[in-house]
Amino acid sequence: MANLSLRGIVREFGPLRVIHGIDLDVAQGEFVVFVGPSGCGKSTLLRMIAGLDRPDGGDVLIDGVRVNERRAAERGLAMVFQSYALYPHMTVRQNLAFGLENQRMAQAEIDRRIGDAARMLQIEHLLQRKPGQLSGGQRQRVAIGRTVTREPGIFLFDEPLSNLDAELRVQMRVELSALHKRLKATMIYVTHDQTEAMTMADRIVVLRGGRVEQAGSPLELYNRPANKFVAGFIGSPRMNFLDAVTREGRNVVVDDMPPLAVPAAAETSDGEPVTLGVRPEHLGFVETAGLPGTVDIVEQMGGESYVYVTLANGARLTVRRPGQTALSTGDAVRICIEGAAHLFSRAEGEPAIAPRVRA
Amino acid sequence: MSRGPAALVSRAIDWPFEALQRALGAARMPYVFVAPNLLVFGIFVAAPMILNVWYAVTGGTQLMPGDRPFVGAANFAELLDCTNHFVVATCKQDRFWRAVGNTAWFVVFQVVGLVLISLVTALILNRRMPWRGFFRAVFFYPVLLSPVVVALIWKWILQPDGVLNAVVVANGGTRIPFLLDPSWAFIWTIVVSIWAHMGFYTLILLAGLQAIPSDLYEAAEMDGTAHVRVFWRITMPLLMPNMMVVLVLALIRAVQSFDEIFVLTGGGPGTATQYIVQFIYETAFANQTHILGLAAAASMLVGGVLLVLTLLQLAASAQAKRSEAKR
Ligand SMILES: Nc1ncnc2c1ncn2[C@@H]1O[C@H](COP(=O)(O)OP(=O)(O)O)[C@@H](O)[C@H]1O
Ligand SMILES: [Mg+2]
Repeated sequence: MANLSLRGIVREFGPLRVIHGIDLDVAQGEFVVFVGPSGCGKSTLLRMIAGLDRPDGGDVLIDGVRVNERRAAERGLAMVFQSYALYPHMTVRQNLAFGLENQRMAQAEIDRRIGDAARMLQIEHLLQRKPGQLSGGQRQRVAIGRTVTREPGIFLFDEPLSNLDAELRVQMRVELSALHKRLKATMIYVTHDQTEAMTMADRIVVLRGGRVEQAGSPLELYNRPANKFVAGFIGSPRMNFLDAVTREGRNVVVDDMPPLAVPAAAETSDGEPVTLGVRPEHLGFVETAGLPGTVDIVEQMGGESYVYVTLANGARLTVRRPGQTALSTGDAVRICIEGAAHLFSRAEGEPAIAPRVRA
Repeated sequence: MSRGPAALVSRAIDWPFEALQRALGAARMPYVFVAPNLLVFGIFVAAPMILNVWYAVTGGTQLMPGDRPFVGAANFAELLDCTNHFVVATCKQDRFWRAVGNTAWFVVFQVVGLVLISLVTALILNRRMPWRGFFRAVFFYPVLLSPVVVALIWKWILQPDGVLNAVVVANGGTRIPFLLDPSWAFIWTIVVSIWAHMGFYTLILLAGLQAIPSDLYEAAEMDGTAHVRVFWRITMPLLMPNMMVVLVLALIRAVQSFDEIFVLTGGGPGTATQYIVQFIYETAFANQTHILGLAAAASMLVGGVLLVLTLLQLAASAQAKRSEAKR
């Protein structure tokens, strides 16, 4: 178990700067998820932590010691690759033993570690097989097993679940969380999938364009997104955004529609252009007032329903309601805010007025 | 409608084929398309092969197949006729056995050298380095040269007053008869033949190296694997299918070596660099009496060896495909 600090990490590929000075501390035993859209620099950042890539500026510290010049194998880390990167010509056992043999570890200790890892990951019956004879999920377990046998200070994962089907992904998510609880190890996990981030992380670091947009616990990010990007990225279905203008007394106006009451923390001044952000689960239907619109499509999930509405001004909203709904396509509805609303300044996407969160 | 010269050409040749298809029906059209190729193959490959069998079991010096008397296995018997099979001089056809022996040594040294040099070259060209594309082209370039051109270039380098001897003399040495001394000539046939063909094998091995996912090397790096161990435990096992293909292909082509060497040394000095295909050629066409039967029998023996090697090659590439699928 180890802690990690990044200090002003910069990475450039030729003239292109892809990591713009990242500062971050990961505590011992913490499960941190780097999340962001594809190409935002997650893998690059992880590879610099691993020692497979060198930063052009800044320092990587493990347990307070600068490790920039240390080779990957000497950093006490282990990594699960997106492709698993299992050695195809070796059996599962040989795959697990390979790194340990490099350390000239005693055979008895190698056997013990492989035995423990295989039992923990339920791959004991696969030890004599080659990776080509395994299913995707089994390969995934072997790849994780290979890191477990190393007993690393920090586990690194680069989109490890992206090659699995949806059902297996959910299952492996649960198992990875369990593994983390059990090993109490420091884990850094990279994904573009906000659901994985929300379900597994102690702390989420949202990246965009090589910068940290926000870091915090899943619920902090959900309840108090630092800007429009984080608000839109975290939460599924995605937050609804509407261009609006503030009115006095915690109201906003969207185009020529009736004013909408906003449960914001602070008083709204008059005439400020904002982007109104409301999650689908925080919208509701009312008889009078509210924003008029027409139902496009209704998705009945049984336990909950998604209602897709087009407003009078052409904007589209997603409304998520618990249980089942009597609405159907073509119905006229009026929409109100029933939970938290977020007001972002139009220009920067920063919160103009702090949201008030319903307890 | 597409435009441009290609469309124009295709419209011009469209109507005869359409007419043909109307006449023959669509089911017979495939035969129309393979006919030209089949004709060439039949005249220049299949017919001579069948004819060769007939020549091998007939004797005399007549050229016309119908004039040749049937002799059964006599030609084969003559080739294999030795009082002591371990001493070439006791054989009736000692030139045949000398050519077989020369070929055997040539194949061993040429193939081992070729595979090793191709491997090292491929490993180097697979590294990140400046001018990589340029060097890849340079090493492949000799493959594109005609064998005669290859031989003439090297002759110009190796002849008594050639470039290499100029270098030797300039460094205070005495001229070396590179192509007139039996041992030197043998060595140079190997060197020239490796030089001429290594580009092709380097290319196959390079393709194999590039098919190894870079993730594996990164995983090995995370695992703290020493470079030597990475080579032996990861690179070599994963390159093995390509190595097998290269090995067997090189073997087959080494046995068939003829053109560059014939132009370079003419088989000499004496018979020092006379290999089996040259023996066949000279027996059939170059000597005063054209002993066609003997040459045909010898070529069937070589054919038998090549058949075995080709089967090996097929097995090797089938193996390669299987392990490719497993990756
Ligand atoms: N070796 C490289 N050479 C040049 N550009 C690269 C290299 N690796 C990554 N990049 C660029 O850096 C950016 C971040 O890539 P990456 O870290 O792989 O993104 P992510 O993992 O978040 O999808 C991308 O724009 C990518 O094109
Ligand atoms: Mg990535």
